[in-house]
Amino acid sequence: MSFFNKMKGGGQSPPAVGLSEILWSWIGAFCGILPVAWLNYNLFNDTDLVFVIGSFGASAVLIYGAIKSPLAQPRNLMGGHIISAIIGVAVFKMFGTYLWLASPLAVATAIAAMHATKTLHPPGGATALIAVIGSQKIHALGFYYAFIPVGVSAFIMLAVALSVNNLSKTRKYPEFWF
Amino acid sequence: MRISELEYSNLNISNEDILEAMKEIPGYLDITPKDFLELYHKAYRHALGRLKSAIKARHIMTASVVTIDEHKPLADAAQLMANFDISGLPVIDRQGQVSGVISDKDFLKHMNITEQTSFMHVILSCLDSPNKCLARDLKGLLVKNVMSSPLISVGLETPVLEVADILESNRINRVPVLDQEFKLAGIIARSDLVRALS
Repeated sequence: MSFFNKMKGGGQSPPAVGLSEILWSWIGAFCGILPVAWLNYNLFNDTDLVFVIGSFGASAVLIYGAIKSPLAQPRNLMGGHIISAIIGVAVFKMFGTYLWLASPLAVATAIAAMHATKTLHPPGGATALIAVIGSQKIHALGFYYAFIPVGVSAFIMLAVALSVNNLSKTRKYPEFWF
Repeated sequence: MRISELEYSNLNISNEDILEAMKEIPGYLDITPKDFLELYHKAYRHALGRLKSAIKARHIMTASVVTIDEHKPLADAAQLMANFDISGLPVIDRQGQVSGVISDKDFLKHMNITEQTSFMHVILSCLDSPNKCLARDLKGLLVKNVMSSPLISVGLETPVLEVADILESNRINRVPVLDQEFKLAGIIARSDLVRALS
């Protein structure tokens, strides 16, 4: 297929989901983000700890909205976030003075590492990027960033996914663990 | 239709079929219909390949085989085939190796008729004039004079579909199965193939 022909697409988009799927996705995401946001803004507000970062919004799309996707499974959620966080922090420590270089390096390396470890999780790219472009508070965490907020918050969201996603008769989570 | 043609005829799943099926599964499926179709085609070919080689000759052969020595008179072969109600026998040589196969077709071939001879021709010739009965031509012949050789055989691990091909392309009705030491291990007749598929 020629280069430009490939851009035509030609396939069809998958069908829309039903109302109950939309509702359960909403409930799941609400219950999943709620505890990490609460920890962030109420319990640890006056500390240097961060519990919520932007990439969890993206994880919520997958683990509450597309729960059958291989990208949304526990291995990918936990592995993708933690591996990407470590890579993001390492890249920032090495190239932090050149943010224009550290940013693409962190995201690209995180994707490569997630592919290689079978943990591809799209929000992981954001987690790596945030380690580079994030606030002073994030930078101050160092490699601790991979544990809190990334590891612990991902784990809380996983626990919510395991309970909420299995309440509905038509839903089941996960498809696989490892 | 031949099994090898299944590949091309049974793959006609339409885009609509896939979309309908996707709607039947609740939840968001992270795949496009086109990707699914490609996946399905490839999986189908794998399944077909597995089926083609899964059933081996040893699974469907008849292991207890009635055989005959190639130096025996033809009448002995006829007697055996009549007794066991079978239409062919593997022929064994002095070393105990299979040297050929003898079947009712071979009997017919050796009667003095140029055209294709059938069982009914023999009946007619014997009814018309007993002195010219075609079966008389066979008197005095030995099994080795009449048997089909060189031997067509298959191995224990030959896939059943390959066995079917061998029967069909050689226009034979049975084929001996030989083990690793080329000793007779069994025989597969067309009827064994039908049984394996049913």
